[in-house]
Amino acid sequence: MLQVKKGGSVKQRRFSAPSQEQDFAERVQWQRKVLPFGNATSYLKLEKLNEGSHSTVYKGISRIYGQLVALKVIRLKTEEGVPFTTIREASLLKGLKHANIVLLHDIIQTKETLTLVFEYMDTDLAQYMSQHPGGIHLHNAMLFMFQLLRALAYIHQHHILHRDLKPPNLLLSCLGELKLADFGLARAKSIPSQTYSAEVVTLGYRPPEVLLGATEYSSEVDIWGAGCIFVEMLQGQPLFPGVRNTFEQLEEIWEILGVPTEETWPGVSKLYHYRPECFPLLLQGWLFLLYPRLGWESGVEDLAARMLKVCPRDRISAQEALVHHFFSSLPSQLYQLSDPQSVFVVPGVKLKPEICDLFAPYQKDHHPISSSKFW
Amino acid sequence: MKCTGPSESEKFAFVLEHALAREAKIWKVPIFQDFTLKGTDIPPFYYEKAVLWIGELSSLFQFCSGTFALAASILNRLLASVKAQLKYLQCIAIACLVVAAKINEEDEVIPSVKKLAVQSGCKCSPAEILRMERIVLDKLHWDLYTATSVDFLNIFHAMVISKWAHLLHGLPQRNPSRHAAFLTKQLQHCMACHQLLQFKGSTLALVIITLELERMTPDWFPVITDLLKKAQIDSTQFIHCKELVDQHLMSFQPSNTVYIFNPASQNIQTHLEERLPCCYSMLKKAVQINLQARGSQAVPAVFTPLQASTYEDDMETDEFYDGFNYLYNEVGTPEGGQGRNDQLRQKGSSSFCPPLEPAPEID
Repeated sequence: MLQVKKGGSVKQRRFSAPSQEQDFAERVQWQRKVLPFGNATSYLKLEKLNEGSHSTVYKGISRIYGQLVALKVIRLKTEEGVPFTTIREASLLKGLKHANIVLLHDIIQTKETLTLVFEYMDTDLAQYMSQHPGGIHLHNAMLFMFQLLRALAYIHQHHILHRDLKPPNLLLSCLGELKLADFGLARAKSIPSQTYSAEVVTLGYRPPEVLLGATEYSSEVDIWGAGCIFVEMLQGQPLFPGVRNTFEQLEEIWEILGVPTEETWPGVSKLYHYRPECFPLLLQGWLFLLYPRLGWESGVEDLAARMLKVCPRDRISAQEALVHHFFSSLPSQLYQLSDPQSVFVVPGVKLKPEICDLFAPYQKDHHPISSSKFW
Repeated sequence: MKCTGPSESEKFAFVLEHALAREAKIWKVPIFQDFTLKGTDIPPFYYEKAVLWIGELSSLFQFCSGTFALAASILNRLLASVKAQLKYLQCIAIACLVVAAKINEEDEVIPSVKKLAVQSGCKCSPAEILRMERIVLDKLHWDLYTATSVDFLNIFHAMVISKWAHLLHGLPQRNPSRHAAFLTKQLQHCMACHQLLQFKGSTLALVIITLELERMTPDWFPVITDLLKKAQIDSTQFIHCKELVDQHLMSFQPSNTVYIFNPASQNIQTHLEERLPCCYSMLKKAVQINLQARGSQAVPAVFTPLQASTYEDDMETDEFYDGFNYLYNEVGTPEGGQGRNDQLRQKGSSSFCPPLEPAPEID
């Protein structure tokens, strides 16, 4: 459960660093002698957190530093060897060091399995939102969004596209630190842009250019997903819920943002799935007529609209979005942080209690096990 | 991209800076000592053959040129960090390609390991390839995200095109991406040369660009000085590399571009003419020779139909080109790989230069 501890002092220490803040961790720290990395005996499996089709995630503890870890155990397919998603994730994460990107501690190879050892995170954004229905506190949404954009600015600077942004892939610590995870679909891009797969990004967060079949896209695909997540955090439900196929998804987008034409999006008519005749003539749709709540605070509407531009070239970049006036109430020191520094090292930066937590204080020490996804 | 951000040249400088940092972090190549790779029993000839083979396989499976470059860089790092034996070289090479494809290619493009093992005609089983894959990942600590020479070539090329577009007006290729594809082909040829192995991908890429600009324009010097400074490449290294590449390409171009086609086969003839803009002036010269021959009606003895291999060899050049063309999404369906596969097995060697007779000197 992600809550702000009331009354008690909140320790500003990240889980990624060797940490002794948990008593339990201290108790299992019995052997610090010569435990090697890359060895299964260096980690102790605790409970199972999540089971997927190719992998199982366990909560665990590192006997090297005594900190909590998430053990993602991947079953190796005999015919194809190490899954491409694992190779990409591991090799990209090896090169990325940022406070808002999940930290890969170690990789353990055994005969039948492969285990990626990640820093342990308490929850993820999908779960946080489901625990706080009806939309989360605007201040918290701002902090989460700022951290997500920091992560995106960093990976885009390294010419990496994440290509699978969605709330379950945004991990959260109980302080409110947000970390981008699951780089299995990520790609490093060079110049000129290579052609990419049109089969990326979970449907509800897939941008129009990918839905239309574009194979040359860039960092804007991640910005669209971040925009969807932004609106979802505030309104408490997905921007494009319950769509079954790409056609329905496109229909939903056009309904809110209007059908693009060659004038509003040069080149759109050349895209494979562009069939404007299939859609009723919607001129300019307007996102925020549908969601009056978004207009409450200055900048919310403007930032969301800039991230959710139908034409990818018009979409704001992560770097630009970070300095958008929506974030003007945050301390200016946030812009001086180095990559590995968390936003929570800046004095005064902390989550505000969500409304439903204020009315349910008995949940304070309750740690639900059921999770949508843990690492 | 929004236009309100940093200027294009600033963006490229940024891209270059990151790529250099990545290269500096994990670049590693084997050293040649006493006629073998240091610490192994692999002679340079076999090393070159392995790299060429990776190149052939990556065009057979229509991988992009970045995948070939990544596979070669993985191979180099592996050979520099383990004591590899010659008998495993083929297995190592194909495992490097598997890893590179998994990283660089889209899911739908990556062939199954079984298909790769069969079509490549290599002597190792899928299980052996997969075992080697895990050794590769383990020995390199999964640290495979790097900038290859092909990345650098694309970056430098884009920088030249954006800042000094006028220099490339007289391109024989007319279109920048075709020009880049042409230079990539040269680069790939150099990557298989063991004497050039000691140079970083960034140095090699800049040398290729420099040699091309030298040929095309008298104003090349300030451009290259600027790029050299931005890329922080040591000028002694650069000059040394340039001399070697120049020599190497000299031996490469004529043998690779002066092909003789049977003028009786009109198909091949027009096919070649269509490709004219994409190939370098040497090829143009070859065609001119050919056209002259046609014009004079008197067909010299060399132009009489050659052996059956001639047609195949012609296909090889085309497919080689298509492999790179694929990168820029300029070609719909590249020609089939099956025939080439047979040819690979038939030949059993990895020579890029088909056994053609040299063109006659016609003035």
